[in-house]
Amino acid sequence: MKLYLTLILMFPLLGAILNALVGMRLSRPLSQAIACGSVWASFACSAAAFFALQGTARTELFRWLSAFDLNAPVSLCFDSLSAVICLMVTFVSGMIHLYSTAYMAEDKDYVRFFMLLNLFVFAMLLLLLADSLPLLFLGWEGVGFCSYALIGFWYEDEANATAGRKAFIVTRVGDVAFGVAIFWMFRLFGTVSISEINLMGHLIPVCTVTVLGLLLLGGAIGKSAQMPLMVWLPDAMAGPTPVSALIHAATMVIAGVYLLGRFFPFIGISPVVPAVIACIGTATAFYAATCALAQCDLKRILAYSTMSQIGFMMLGVGSGAITAATFHLLVHAFFKALLFMGAGCVIAAMGHEQDIFKMGGLRRNLPRTFWPFLAGAICLAGLPLTGGFFSKDSILVAVYLKGGPLYSALFALAEFTALLTAIYTFRMVYVVFGGERREVHTVPRFMEITLLPLAMLALFGGIINLPEYLGRPGWLAGLLAPLTGIEGVKPGNGTEVILQIVAGAIALLGLAIAHTRYGGGRWRTGERGLPALECNAFFREGWYFDRLYRFLFIRPYDAVSRFLWAGVDEGVFNNSVDALGNVTGIAGRSLGKWTNGRVSLYLASFVGGAVLLLVYFAWIIIS
Amino acid sequence: MIVPLAHVLILSALIFTMGMFCLLVWRRNIIMMLIGIEIMLNAVILAFVGGAAHWGTADGQVFALFIIAMTSAEVSLALALVVYLHRRKKSVNSDDYSTLQE
Amino acid sequence: MEQVVFYILAAVVLIATLFSITEKHAVHAIIYLATSFFALAVIFYLLNAPLVAVFEVIIYAGAIMVLFLFVIMMLDLGHPEKLLLPGMRDWGPALLLGLVTLGAFVTLVLHQPSLSLNANPVTIRYFAGVMFGKYGVAVEIVSMQLLFALVGALYLGRRK
Repeated sequence: MKLYLTLILMFPLLGAILNALVGMRLSRPLSQAIACGSVWASFACSAAAFFALQGTARTELFRWLSAFDLNAPVSLCFDSLSAVICLMVTFVSGMIHLYSTAYMAEDKDYVRFFMLLNLFVFAMLLLLLADSLPLLFLGWEGVGFCSYALIGFWYEDEANATAGRKAFIVTRVGDVAFGVAIFWMFRLFGTVSISEINLMGHLIPVCTVTVLGLLLLGGAIGKSAQMPLMVWLPDAMAGPTPVSALIHAATMVIAGVYLLGRFFPFIGISPVVPAVIACIGTATAFYAATCALAQCDLKRILAYSTMSQIGFMMLGVGSGAITAATFHLLVHAFFKALLFMGAGCVIAAMGHEQDIFKMGGLRRNLPRTFWPFLAGAICLAGLPLTGGFFSKDSILVAVYLKGGPLYSALFALAEFTALLTAIYTFRMVYVVFGGERREVHTVPRFMEITLLPLAMLALFGGIINLPEYLGRPGWLAGLLAPLTGIEGVKPGNGTEVILQIVAGAIALLGLAIAHTRYGGGRWRTGERGLPALECNAFFREGWYFDRLYRFLFIRPYDAVSRFLWAGVDEGVFNNSVDALGNVTGIAGRSLGKWTNGRVSLYLASFVGGAVLLLVYFAWIIIS
Repeated sequence: MIVPLAHVLILSALIFTMGMFCLLVWRRNIIMMLIGIEIMLNAVILAFVGGAAHWGTADGQVFALFIIAMTSAEVSLALALVVYLHRRKKSVNSDDYSTLQE
Repeated sequence: MEQVVFYILAAVVLIATLFSITEKHAVHAIIYLATSFFALAVIFYLLNAPLVAVFEVIIYAGAIMVLFLFVIMMLDLGHPEKLLLPGMRDWGPALLLGLVTLGAFVTLVLHQPSLSLNANPVTIRYFAGVMFGKYGVAVEIVSMQLLFALVGALYLGRRK
């Protein structure tokens, strides 16, 4: 087991190092093979470790930090939660690696790209497998850095570099909260081992648990792009599409959910924290769904939809249903990566055009892209019997069962958000793929082939956690049950069926609404579709949060730093040093005027000196 | 001695001061500077002679004589220099001869 | 009686020197200076140094001042309006330094314990004995110095 775990981590790291050091000298196929092969080898090891797993496996690899009281070895914890997520991460990463060999075929910086992708996979796996907080934080920061580097991959364009910076800085704000939580936990418990901390929640007062939980939540919302730290995700679409698929759909953005799920035995002790998590999740889901309705850029629609779905996952965590949240996490990874990759095919076909209103009729041009894309779309909308349906529904059931005024309100808002999800999803499908045939570029066959496995997994992924009324309890629930510490309330079979029917009906209603508005090329009539929603600046600009943050934070900071630069640094320090130099120069020049070659001045100086001596002698004689 | 030595010395000091005053006020005019020097030297001669009279030795007077002799030599050379300079620049303003400046 | 003469002569010296140094016309300044030298010579005589008095008149007032006059007349420096007259920036430091010096000297002189010795006056025979005896080498050196001055003045004054 220890070997498997080590290999899971080592393969991507080796791939990254090899590509970094000698990638430029190897031929293109070889360096790409190293990159893809290392991720698939990691997948194989994950599968082997999964099958060999009994209970929880903890191993310690080597000593890392140990001084005074702090003991943070490189210790890994492989339990069912991290096992399933590892499998998903390595599989999806592997598919995306293959996809990007074709997508980045014309880019000459492919070595850097694959090196960063491998490094990212390594950091993500480290995050998932870590058992000590510093190690987790290392993985956390690693994925943040790789995300920054990959978003700003085409850095020669200023906008891309700015987007990368924005992502890094905003997630950093969350990381500060996370860091504070780590230090505080070490201070309280004397240990940084996650498994130990989870057991010690009862020893400290509840309000401390609340605050710690809120700090952890702060870190999570930064990484997972929840409110209020969500402004970076839409702009992160400036990176290449495989990056968006991997990092901003399937892996990095779920790190926050994973963190909260991992710490749920600890933070579940406080009644406040899960409620806050649920509220934030729902609010973000609603916000993102409204914004997605008004977007004209294909990738931005998908970015907002990711934000929304992660809001759902947070809602699941906040309702205590870790199993449901994990289920949705897995299925969402499959269909969102699929949607992004399909979007990449579409964009490549349209010659890097991303405005959906300039597309149309691609159903006939790109059939091999259309069908997998449609599969992903129906999973996203939650049409009955798809994987997305089961996963989203399990969350909604858990929220409904929680009861109480807060959760009922959240339930209603979540159902409304599901309706909006269906609407914007099919809006996207109809506008991009509906209508008449048009001229497009060819899309490499390989890219479209990689869509298929993910489509299968998305559509049929529901089987990993089927609802109970079908006979046996869900497989995933059984797997994760020993972990979560807080058992969710089991729904009665009747309630569950009714809720599922409601959810299915909502999804079909959304499809119908989208069909009436956008189906059959109806959006071509009139200007730019319906002015009520499209190009509505408030929703399209994300409720103007960017402007708000610029006003509240960026402008004062800018003013302060300008003052400190021009006023203090230049004005005080530089100028005072300059003045010092000037003073020396002036003094020198003034003294130099004493040697003007004129006898009159020399004579006066001579007599002055003699008088001084005389006075001195007189003084001595007198006293 | 007819007057106390102190009085002689005070007179000598006064003359010396006046000579120095002349030297400093007229420091742009070479001729007046030389005259100031003469006055100062005279004051010193008076001090020597006063000292000789007080202690009854001849050394002071001998030295006064030497000063007179030396002054004459110095004045002749100084005035020869003044003549030379005047031939060069037609001026006895000491500020005009400042080519030794840094 | 001789004390009164001394003080009168001292006054003459001071007043003549004062006029000399504040006179713009060079020739007038030198005449005042000659007056002061004469008075000074009589003071020397009163202080039992007749030889020094005589030499003062002959050499100092007679030769040196006349030399000054020759040079002034030769260089035609007798026009005070063409000269650079001292302004305030010349008087200021001069006054300051002069007063300070005077203060220092007077303080030094008055600080000495006053003793009055009544020594024998110096005779010329004794004076000659000291000068050519004890200071014989100095005499030779001074005479050589006069020679040098002569040669130097000749050299500097020649026309090319």
